[in-house]
Amino acid sequence: MLAAVILRALRDQRRAPLTWGGALGAMSALMALVWPSIEGSMERLMKSYPEQLKEAFNITAINSVETYVDAEMLSLILPLALSFLAVRIVTQALAGAEERGYLDVVLTTPVARRTLVAGTWIAAAVVIVAVLAVIAVMTLIAGAAVGAHPSALVLGRGMANVWPLAMLFAGVAALACGRLHRAAPVTALATGTLVAMYVIDRVGKLADPVAPLRRVSAFRYYGSAVRDGIDPLAFAGLALAGALLAVAGAFLLERRDVR
Amino acid sequence: MNASAAAIELDRLTKRYGAARGIEDVTLSVQTGEVFGFLGPNGAGKTTTIRTLLNLLHPTSGAARVFGLDSRRDAAAIHARLGNLPGDFAYDPRMTGRDLLVFLAGLRGLRGVGRGEALARRFQADLDRPLGELSRGNRQKIGLVQAAFHEPDLLVLDEPTAGLDPLMQEEFLAFVAEEREQGRTILLSSHDLDEVERVCDRVGIIREGRLIAIENVAAITARAYRHVTIQFAEPVDAEEFSSLPGVSELERANGRISFRAEGDLDAVVKQAARHTVTDIELSHPTLEEVFLTYYGAGEAACSPR
Repeated sequence: MLAAVILRALRDQRRAPLTWGGALGAMSALMALVWPSIEGSMERLMKSYPEQLKEAFNITAINSVETYVDAEMLSLILPLALSFLAVRIVTQALAGAEERGYLDVVLTTPVARRTLVAGTWIAAAVVIVAVLAVIAVMTLIAGAAVGAHPSALVLGRGMANVWPLAMLFAGVAALACGRLHRAAPVTALATGTLVAMYVIDRVGKLADPVAPLRRVSAFRYYGSAVRDGIDPLAFAGLALAGALLAVAGAFLLERRDVR
Repeated sequence: MNASAAAIELDRLTKRYGAARGIEDVTLSVQTGEVFGFLGPNGAGKTTTIRTLLNLLHPTSGAARVFGLDSRRDAAAIHARLGNLPGDFAYDPRMTGRDLLVFLAGLRGLRGVGRGEALARRFQADLDRPLGELSRGNRQKIGLVQAAFHEPDLLVLDEPTAGLDPLMQEEFLAFVAEEREQGRTILLSSHDLDEVERVCDRVGIIREGRLIAIENVAAITARAYRHVTIQFAEPVDAEEFSSLPGVSELERANGRISFRAEGDLDAVVKQAARHTVTDIELSHPTLEEVFLTYYGAGEAACSPR
């Protein structure tokens, strides 16, 4: 039954690697393509940035195509976009399906509500991996085409680091689906949490009074895997937190009415 | 399968939505192999009762049992043995009927779609077009197929003929009769008195969230009146008809008389046959009229078995 739920959700999202991966991959590839032409002026540009701004956006030194893609894509666009995609996948399959009356058919089969939540979360995990892979491959190809030759390992770990962050917000969406019956409020709640956490983390780096709040932000544990490598504890912690939130969402969904 | 066992038992089942009314103290029992009609106007509580029975809604109080199993605790075991057609059936408009059947077969742990293809041919359901491209009636056919393809012991059908053309309604009623012959239990919700009369053994009538009566179909048919209009070749004496048993509200105009008739129409037909009849029209009252006539506002004549 779990396999059927996962396969169905994957089929529903079969275009995501092409649409999301293609669009974001094109942006990332563009960064790799322009790198050789701006490489020489980057040192001067970096010196002109205020130190706090560089700290806020995890920019220490942009001296390679990987660090350039890290600064332009992996510090803001990809974490936010793929977290939103993960939220969207979970929300469509749960609250969206409930809102449209689809769950009456699914939940009068022997499948348990917790299986539905688990399958949806797992499918989101697979789709995010696929989208990240497309982005990474497009970036590597573009970099190679202009002779920048980005490291697959370094770029790959940067991309991989986005995955647990996105899955945390998939968990937030699953939790919200455990209480709410419609897609719009679930999306608003999950993306609101996403944006709030991002802002808290960035402002916390710039303003000392807000700094303690960074502990509650998932972005505090995201860091820069291109520069520092993947922090296994943060990686596992974020993914585990996402899974636990999904479990809590399943628990709530089991105990409420389906409208 | 034990033929005498109750397939469905509702015991003082109550569902409230905050201060809003849902259903109140619904108690009934549907025997295995029975076709039970659930009658009531829109908003009466039919769908709420069914969705509570199916564990989509959790009861405020009371209990529901299906095949002797608790509807909440044993939901998965119950769902393995039932097929459900929700009211206003809808599913992902991008999916074809075949995709849906394969998906549901997967959820049920089945390798194939069973008699899905045969049912689709019978109901002339197009399994290869996306649901979003189908008319309401054609989508409803897919709904019927997905409810029954796995040969469930219990079929729960909420307004099953909504949107179906008359020919397909006939096919559906024949299908229900065949399912009953095979020992399956069917709970059928409807607001169409004729439909329920034709296939159901018993009916439960629900109004404003309360089950107000459970009757044999024969009994409710006998209690239901008809509007009769007879056109004669020549004017007739209205007194001939007004004195017949069960005739009331008689009106006469030219060669035509109209009246309300309760019970059987044998005396009316015999009396009309004394004259030259050029046209005759019989119409059943709407369910709303039946309620107003037989149960009256505020009356709760519940007699569950």
